[in-house]
Amino acid sequence: MKITDSFTRIRLIAGTTFLEAVRQKFFNSLLLISIALVGSSTFFQQFDFGTGELKFITDFGFGALFFFGSILSITATTQLFFNEMENRTALTMLAKPVYKLEFLAGKFLGAHLLLLCFTLVITLVLSGILYWREMALLERLGNELILNGSLIRYGDVFLFGFLQWMKFGILAAFTLFVASFSNTNLYTIVVSFFMLVICQLQYIARDAYTSMEAGWERILVLGLGLIFPNFQLFNIGDQLVFDVEKAPAVSTVLQITGYGAIYVVAFILLAQVNFRRREI
Amino acid sequence: MSTPAIRIQNLTKDFAVGMRGMKLRAVDDLCLEVGDNEIFGLLGPNGSGKSTTIKIILGLLEASTGTCEIYGRPSKLVDARRSVGFLPEAPYFYRYLTGRELVRYYARICMVPRVEIDAAVDSVIKLVGMTEAANRRVGTYSKGMLQRIGLAQSLVHDPQLVILDEPTAGVDPLGSAAIAEIVRELKRRGKTILLSSHLLAQIEGLCDRVAILHRGKLVREGRVDDLVEEKDAESLVVQGLSAEGRAAVEAEIKAQGGRLARVEKPRLSLDAYFLKEVHEREIEHATQQEGGEES
Ligand SMILES: Nc1ncnc2c1ncn2[C@@H]1O[C@H](COP(=O)(O)OP(=O)(O)OP(=O)(O)O)[C@@H](O)[C@H]1O
Ligand SMILES: [Mg+2]
Repeated sequence: MKITDSFTRIRLIAGTTFLEAVRQKFFNSLLLISIALVGSSTFFQQFDFGTGELKFITDFGFGALFFFGSILSITATTQLFFNEMENRTALTMLAKPVYKLEFLAGKFLGAHLLLLCFTLVITLVLSGILYWREMALLERLGNELILNGSLIRYGDVFLFGFLQWMKFGILAAFTLFVASFSNTNLYTIVVSFFMLVICQLQYIARDAYTSMEAGWERILVLGLGLIFPNFQLFNIGDQLVFDVEKAPAVSTVLQITGYGAIYVVAFILLAQVNFRRREI
Repeated sequence: MSTPAIRIQNLTKDFAVGMRGMKLRAVDDLCLEVGDNEIFGLLGPNGSGKSTTIKIILGLLEASTGTCEIYGRPSKLVDARRSVGFLPEAPYFYRYLTGRELVRYYARICMVPRVEIDAAVDSVIKLVGMTEAANRRVGTYSKGMLQRIGLAQSLVHDPQLVILDEPTAGVDPLGSAAIAEIVRELKRRGKTILLSSHLLAQIEGLCDRVAILHRGKLVREGRVDDLVEEKDAESLVVQGLSAEGRAAVEAEIKAQGGRLARVEKPRLSLDAYFLKEVHEREIEHATQQEGGEES
């Protein structure tokens, strides 16, 4: 078996998975709701926040991206996996010379591609709104606010989007892992949401760790911290966008990306262990 | 003798059902061999383990005990499936692809070389008689059409071994006859075919050998002719014989030491009758249409 053949098959499976997902009503309605929500943040302009308004819109947009993106990561991955099982299309696929790992990787990439679309659309809409409000603001307040040409570093909006997308990837891979041994979608979705909450709050454990004395408790916390990725790492949004001084170093971004990639690969490999034994 | 296409030895499959480790034995100590270039029928009532056996052959399920080989290689290996085509029972495919896209997709999954894909796809679609509907979405297909496109999908990479799980379920007699013809054509091309069914009439004229399963156990196995032939009887089909003539024949049979076991009117099977009638209508329809186009 040539490795390039393997990639071709993964690409093909990812392609159909993505196509299937995009044509689902669920994705489209979620996308519309998210866009509407991001757009609705501009209604607050009547309060006249000044530059605070831009910050507000940004936070609001990032929040919506995180919230709906997380929902989409979990539900779409679950749906795509169980559709394939219940309709027994997986049967036809796995009767071909296709490795189960290829199948899982294809499913994951298809879902991740879907999330990329989602993230891209939301960040584009957010940037558009920010640009529009920024122009209006500059017109009103004159140019004294300008630091280096504009108030907002738009690149950072997309950087934040990218990091969120990596995080969604971990979530999707974890969901796939749960799906690989669970029999129902509901179970998969619930467990994955718990995982999301744990990972989101994981930094608390980390804080506890630093203040702990050496001992088995410390090891336990350390272990938990390794099993569950720390999602706070991906939320560097506050420093982004506005704060010129604190622009993140490229190496930091790369590190976070690598951190995410390791978890993605690990979860997919774990999923493969379960999936190999699963009766289809 | 060359390596058999499929060799199953002492195969047992238990499913865990319910709590407390209850076991359901779906396949029970099955031994089978399917020779190369043979049409082999797997028969049995519902729930007798046909599909389970097929899934194990394809490596979709793992055997509890026993072994299963495809051309001498353990069927668990992905590589062993390289030259195997499979039509699952009640197939279902990605609804939003067209028939042609679907077949093409599976062709690419099976690594059919790029330059050959279009020709291969067109030829199997023609083979299963789906040319007209090939550009419609699979979601709009009828049950029989799904079955046909499924067959096309299983043949597109020109596999040496073709496994069909109830290929004629939901297909009209005309389509069944067409599928049977395809299976014969595959045999002529040197392929091996394993098919399962409980529609015995269809299998009878088609398979070289059959195995009959019952509750996961192999009940009978052998050449169809050997299994169903009445070894000690022959039938004469006679036309235009008068009553006196018949009495004379009966007397002669007795004189020769034979015994007239039964007298029956030869009947066309309903299947054959249906086919004949429909075929005539089809020809009529075709000539009418030609006439219509000309005028
Ligand atoms: N995944 C499974 N879990 C538990 N039991 C199963 C499973 N798959 C099949 N069985 C059981 O195994 C037995 C054999 O099933 P199988 O599908 O092989 O029958 P079959 O011969 O193909 O029947 P049919 O003619 O209805 O298609 C049945 O009793 C069925 O209930
Ligand atoms: Mg069956």
